[in-house]
Amino acid sequence: MNFYLTYFFIAIGLFGFSALFALFGVYAERKLSAFIQDRLGPTETGTFGSLQTIADILKMLQKELIIPTAADKLLFMMAPAVIFIAVYLGFAVLPWGPGLAPAKLNLGLYYLFAVLSIETLGILMAGWGSNNKYSILGAMRSAAQIVSYEIPAGFAIISVVMISQTLNLQTIATQQGILSSEKVTFAGFWDVSNIGGIFSWNVFRAPHLLVAFVIYFIASLAESNRAPFDVPEAESELVAGFHTEYTGLRFALVFLAEYSMMFMVSMIGAVLFLGAWNTPLPNMGVVELAAWTTGAGWGIFWIALKTLSLVGIQMWIRWTLPRFRVDQLMNFCWKVLTPAAFACVLVSGLWRIFLM
Amino acid sequence: MTLVQALFYLMAFVALGSAVFVASTKNLVRSIFMFFITLMALAGLYVLALADFVAITQIVIYVGGILVLILFAFMLSGRENLNYISAIQNKFISIRKLPALLLAALFLIGLINVVVKMDTGNLEWVKISMEQKNDIQPTIEMTGNIGVNLMTHYLLPFEAVSILLMIALIGAAHLSRKEVAV
Repeated sequence: MNFYLTYFFIAIGLFGFSALFALFGVYAERKLSAFIQDRLGPTETGTFGSLQTIADILKMLQKELIIPTAADKLLFMMAPAVIFIAVYLGFAVLPWGPGLAPAKLNLGLYYLFAVLSIETLGILMAGWGSNNKYSILGAMRSAAQIVSYEIPAGFAIISVVMISQTLNLQTIATQQGILSSEKVTFAGFWDVSNIGGIFSWNVFRAPHLLVAFVIYFIASLAESNRAPFDVPEAESELVAGFHTEYTGLRFALVFLAEYSMMFMVSMIGAVLFLGAWNTPLPNMGVVELAAWTTGAGWGIFWIALKTLSLVGIQMWIRWTLPRFRVDQLMNFCWKVLTPAAFACVLVSGLWRIFLM
Repeated sequence: MTLVQALFYLMAFVALGSAVFVASTKNLVRSIFMFFITLMALAGLYVLALADFVAITQIVIYVGGILVLILFAFMLSGRENLNYISAIQNKFISIRKLPALLLAALFLIGLINVVVKMDTGNLEWVKISMEQKNDIQPTIEMTGNIGVNLMTHYLLPFEAVSILLMIALIGAAHLSRKEVAV
């Protein structure tokens, strides 16, 4: 019975974590955007405005839940839950440290890929359920974008899987550090199995994965509907896209899903390319930095640091780049990213045959 | 009843119930979203049958691909078409439904016949493979096996399917491109 209780505790803990992260993320985003635009951002509520998002969520919880008369009520009410649960399901397989993964699925990566595609359905559900032109246009744009950008993202992921030869995220993580049971080489020639650190990360084990990482990162921006790929909610054209009609708690759920999605795609990127929970510090002779900074607690610290830096870059990009036009978006996906991702897969194959 | 059996009956119930809803409702969009539940329940049944790879593939292809495509087709077509379908007179027994009813009845008889005649508890081939240890354990990893088999035993069908998909893609691209003025 204890066995099942642990599952429940971990699930509730992850939910609490994603809620906390959304609160912290919104605050960070507002402060960061203020810094980029030479403003101050929230300053009044709490020290440096730190209680601002808590005040926001309290306000949001009290708001009336409005259902438009013409809406398909069932779909309208269920959509935010479907969107959030799709993202939340993904957290089940992400590894947090050596031996610390909620579920050690041997198909973890493939499962993540499947679960992320459910979100599209939730967005379409919200768009259709709202019975509003802006909502449905936003939902269709979002679905078209997610479906298209899944292809370069998928191929970038496949090029990693070809190098690591497994779909188990925990195994992929272990391979990129001193705990690896197989030989790890830096760029295919320098044996770094006992040195570890930044040299054994996937992007340096096979340098073409650096290209794959950039492709994955761009595609992940599109999949989480972030600027410069935010045509689904382009304020100047579509009011707010698929969540135009949502108020109160339901709107909060949509927002929670967006921030959880940001965190999750960043964490997948960190796990696949940037050494997961492995330390960036290498062993240097007697100064065994890598051995000292590897462990369950350190693992959580490193993965959180890497993921939050990627989230920070996402925010930085959002507030500095203008929005893509729809045709530019599709051209970029099909004519630049997809061929480049195919090339990465090809190089991965050759790398596997000749250099590993 | 073990937990696995309970889960099996739960999934089977959800799959059948939602499938009946999909077939009977007149609100086509809702029936598509209900189909999503059927597919998820089916994926759950696959997991119970230790076919985890098939289960996830089912979600990737059907939920992520085909359902979204069907929804797109819906949203691009006008509301009039949808209203036309819900305006069709629907009597349970009518002459138009006779062929379908006959087929369904025949199929049901066939299925019941199979279930009654087959002694599921002690099938010959199941016993033989149990003796030869040729069965799948819950701990085994099947993905590598699938990959190796696709690239060795089933290479020809695999390539044939890929060529078929290629032809379909080229055809679609040809149909959707602009007419060149002669």
